[in-house]
Amino acid sequence: MANVRYHVSLRNLTHVFQDSRRALTALADVALEAVWGQFLTVIGPSGCGKSTLLRIIGGLLRPSEGEVLIDGAAPVESQRRRDIGFVFQDPALLPWRTVLSNVRLPLEIDHGARARTAPSPEELLELTGLADFHSYYPHELSGGMQQRVAIARALAFDPSLLLMDEPFGALDEITRSAMRYELLRIWSAGGGAPSGAEGQPTRRPHKTVVFVTHSIPEAIALSDRVVVLSPRPGAVRAAIDIELPRPRTQEMERTAPFLDYADQLRNLLKEAPA
Amino acid sequence: MNRTLRSLAAHVLPPALTLIGALLFWEFWVQWRDIAIIVVPPPSAVLERFLDDPDFFRRHGGWTLYEATLGLLLGSSFALALAVAMAHSRLTERALFPLAIIIKVTPIVAVAPVLVIMFGFGTTPKILVAALLSFFPMLVNAMTGFRDVNPGALEFMRSLRASPWQLFWKLRLPSALPYLFAALKITYPLALIGAVVAEWFTGDRGLGLVIFVANANLDTPTLFAAVGVLALTGVTLNVLLYLTERRLLFWHETIRTIR
Repeated sequence: MANVRYHVSLRNLTHVFQDSRRALTALADVALEAVWGQFLTVIGPSGCGKSTLLRIIGGLLRPSEGEVLIDGAAPVESQRRRDIGFVFQDPALLPWRTVLSNVRLPLEIDHGARARTAPSPEELLELTGLADFHSYYPHELSGGMQQRVAIARALAFDPSLLLMDEPFGALDEITRSAMRYELLRIWSAGGGAPSGAEGQPTRRPHKTVVFVTHSIPEAIALSDRVVVLSPRPGAVRAAIDIELPRPRTQEMERTAPFLDYADQLRNLLKEAPA
Repeated sequence: MNRTLRSLAAHVLPPALTLIGALLFWEFWVQWRDIAIIVVPPPSAVLERFLDDPDFFRRHGGWTLYEATLGLLLGSSFALALAVAMAHSRLTERALFPLAIIIKVTPIVAVAPVLVIMFGFGTTPKILVAALLSFFPMLVNAMTGFRDVNPGALEFMRSLRASPWQLFWKLRLPSALPYLFAALKITYPLALIGAVVAEWFTGDRGLGLVIFVANANLDTPTLFAAVGVLALTGVTLNVLLYLTERRLLFWHETIRTIR
């Protein structure tokens, strides 16, 4: 075992989608680490296997080859402890349930020990700015509001790892850039892994987030570290640490360091044959 | 209140006027051409026959409705159970679907006498015929419904390690409700037909028997009155289903768009 115990660590990860006629390599030899409490963004063009990567980390998909460790164990272990929260591009709320009832859904599925330490659904709605909308149905909400519900729902078990698959991809540009800072606010307020979790000396300030996007400003504004994937098959092309101070603000998007990072990322994404 | 009345009028008035118009035309046509009552009775004679002994029709209609409803419940339960199994496994689907198709393509008039031989003259064969008729549409719709689940919601439930049982009750069943209602709107009238056909062959009560006897006696007013009661029952059931659907599926596109 290495000295540093990463929260998320992928090694030699390759995934091939195989059907009867052809094989499609989605990910080729990906290596990636996220330390506890880090906001890590994976950026790449459409079809580079970003979503596949996230689903593998979340334990929804078994990789063809390679090693995936979450807190030093297989993803299924974290999943079993309800220590992973998922947010997808499609909020995928249950349309027959109210906002509150949607956020309560995870607790209905597992009313185990973890549920008791987690914030209540009402607190989560408060945190995500939905308190006044608890009795609304999803179809009565805008896309941005629906995605807030999906975030609140993902936080129901107070997971230490949050996986977000282009959560703002379907939103209009204005809502989208506002949601970035909204997410950062929630992230800073939400707290990290509950103290006493195994292999963890102290309580972390934040949840670890693995965020997938193809928006450059989104990646810079949110992240501690950005990993650039090459297209088809997805492989890690570079990883950049974003050393902008926190809390980040919308105004920073026009500052020189921000724009430098944007140039750097744009070049990395442009490079090499597409 | 005023708005409800107005919307009620907008929905009920046009078909009611059409119906009244058709009945009036029928009445005058029969009177004018002097058509014999054993060929076509005027609506007035049919109504008179009905009002003469409404309890007679209520009793027999009640039996038919009872058999149809029990048959519907039986057929739907089997269809739902099978659809759950089939939606979860392609193998089950391959093994059972051909059998379901056999049930569908066999003419019910051919099966009904056999059921009578097997189960006697009581209520059982009637319920079974109604069940057989309502089985297939419910099966096909339920199967599609249980599979038509938002993939994102399914993925999310899986990430929470929801059990198959929880997936079914919290996701698949509610997702399938629009399909189940669509099926019910087809199968309830079918079950009614099944019950009537079965009564026609044997039996000592029900509207099927009333129609059979009236037909044999050339008692056209009774015959038409029974048919009218049957039609009215079908319409009432459809309206009830529609209202229930609107209450239950307020969240679904098909209901949201008709406001």
